[in-house]
Amino acid sequence: MKKVEAIVRPHLLDAVRNALHEVSVAGMTISEVQGHGRQKGHTETYRGTEYQIEFIPKIKVEVIIPDDIEDSVVEAITRTARTGKFGDGKIFVVPVNDVIRIRTGERGEAAV
Amino acid sequence: MEETKATEGNIARRALRCSLHRPLFSRTATILLAVFVLGGLATPSLKAQEPQRDPAGTATGDKTSAVDAGGNSFVVTEPTDKTAPDYAEKKKAYDEYQAQLAKEPLAAKLADSVGHTRVATNFSWTLLTGYLVLFMQAGFALLTCGLVRKKNAAHLMMLNFAAYVFAFLAYYAVGYAFQFGAVAINAAPANLGGTPTLNHFLIGSGGWGFLGGRGFFLSGPGYDSGSLCLTLFEVVFMETAGYIIVGAICERITFWSFLLCELFVGGILYPIFGCWVWGGGWLSQLGATMHLAHGYVDFAGSTVVHAVGGFCAMALAVILGPRLGKYGPDGKPRPFPAHNLAFVVTGTFILLFGWMGFNPGSTLGSTDLRISVIAINTNLAAVAGAATAMSFWYFRFGKPDITMACNGMLAGLVAITAPCAFVSPTSAVVIGILAGFVVCVGVLFNERVIKVDDPCGAISVHGYCGWLGAVCVGIFADGTYGSGWNGIGADTYLGTAGRGVTGLLHGDPKQLITQLIGATLCAVWAFGATFVVFSVVNKIKAMRVSREVEIEGLDVPQFGLPGYPEDFVPQGLAAAEA
Repeated sequence: MKKVEAIVRPHLLDAVRNALHEVSVAGMTISEVQGHGRQKGHTETYRGTEYQIEFIPKIKVEVIIPDDIEDSVVEAITRTARTGKFGDGKIFVVPVNDVIRIRTGERGEAAV
Repeated sequence: MEETKATEGNIARRALRCSLHRPLFSRTATILLAVFVLGGLATPSLKAQEPQRDPAGTATGDKTSAVDAGGNSFVVTEPTDKTAPDYAEKKKAYDEYQAQLAKEPLAAKLADSVGHTRVATNFSWTLLTGYLVLFMQAGFALLTCGLVRKKNAAHLMMLNFAAYVFAFLAYYAVGYAFQFGAVAINAAPANLGGTPTLNHFLIGSGGWGFLGGRGFFLSGPGYDSGSLCLTLFEVVFMETAGYIIVGAICERITFWSFLLCELFVGGILYPIFGCWVWGGGWLSQLGATMHLAHGYVDFAGSTVVHAVGGFCAMALAVILGPRLGKYGPDGKPRPFPAHNLAFVVTGTFILLFGWMGFNPGSTLGSTDLRISVIAINTNLAAVAGAATAMSFWYFRFGKPDITMACNGMLAGLVAITAPCAFVSPTSAVVIGILAGFVVCVGVLFNERVIKVDDPCGAISVHGYCGWLGAVCVGIFADGTYGSGWNGIGADTYLGTAGRGVTGLLHGDPKQLITQLIGATLCAVWAFGATFVVFSVVNKIKAMRVSREVEIEGLDVPQFGLPGYPEDFVPQGLAAAEA
């Protein structure tokens, strides 16, 4: 099993979610995050005082998937979240030790 | 501890035994008692000569209150100055009036009713515009809350709330009496029936009054229908000065010292200057005493209300020091962006709406039809100020800052508050533009040059622009209103019959000098008195919260409740099942 974490633009969340459903991903968790990549922030002023905007709001989508659909999931996210401009985001794939369904106690791939 | 208590008890017992052995009344005491009793018996006869109060409102407003559109009285008073050149003329008119009165008693009764209705109309006006000014409390609460950081939202709201509560109580106890206790002497509000019971200066007399002395605790001569109408209107004006200081001292002041500030503003700082200008005190009488034009003129309070609040705020901000982190180690300022711009703009609109009571209401009567001119002038200065601030900021920084646009509107409103009744609409626009510049430069000056941290811009909006507004009376007043203001030039002024308050541009440079004196004195008074008193307070016990409290935010340490609890309490806990 793998965990796929995708940092994507907030307004593309719907498109990413729909694409994930199409490749049979059952569940997901999203959170509102802020971050930056290699691009530097920019300067704004408030009442004449300058300050730096370094972090941009993003959405983090986390899904746990069986190993066999890893490639199709990554392709689905990349296809729907890419605009070609700076700030499209990143995908991280990490291995998962175990998954447990709280309601039934199932473990492993049956719990995904 | 036990020892001290025993000794104290012995002393008390000994004192009681001694008093029981002495004769009940010594000779001196008897004489004093006799004097007091006789004095007490004499007082009712003295009281009979004093104007009687009218708590039920059934004796206020009669034919003496009946005037026509031009302010000419129905009643003709008997001329007292037999040496005056027009004495014969006036005596003839008086005799004719008396003869008419005798022939047409019904007309006299009707005139009584007309006078009463006129005063009643003005009561409605004054009270209702007063309620509009009261609503400005909500506007300022929203404005200032929106301008600060989220962690201090509840603190800001509570400062605004508590300001209203405690300043009001101080004004009830002593403030109103200090400010208006002598108003009937030089500045009786004829539109409200004259409030004749408010006729004594505690300090000063005649044209040199410094402190009023009637109406303490709104009792005795203060428990009068006309006086209390004036009280309502004037207390909400005092409250405006009271909440202005919140804008500059928030995010780092302790609640106990804040309450002290409010008691000070409501009981002492505001009423004293207010007495000098509106209570018939010495600044208003400079025309008569020192031949300075119409004396110091401030129609609705650019200085009496706003500059007093703004410069008091400045003194407190200097004593408290800037917020933690406001200035970096290199002295460069850092921004603390507003947490809720919706509050800021809504608050500004509510203040604008309330100002429709603030300025036009200051005629104390809708029978004074200048109210429409005042209402338009007020709005013109507001929008001109906002437009100027937006333009200034756009050209200087590239974007029109929303909070500065709001400050610009408020600056225009503050600056027009003194001259609104005396200037033309175009002058109002110019005054608004000037205020827009002053507030923008002022905000930058405070933050960058003198490094006085003012979270909401209160010092620039109310202090600097308040001073500007009073000075603008001396520049732009065009003489079309205010004939007889402060008792000067009721018949003619500067050679023209019916001419009112006039400024430099229309031929009266002395008015400008008078305005400069009064406005500057206001700044010195408000800053100086506050700085002296609260420097002492601060030395006794620090008025500023601790470092840890300031970093955490003042909501929970001061009031036990965060402004936005769901930032701290996870939604799960907030939705517990039974």
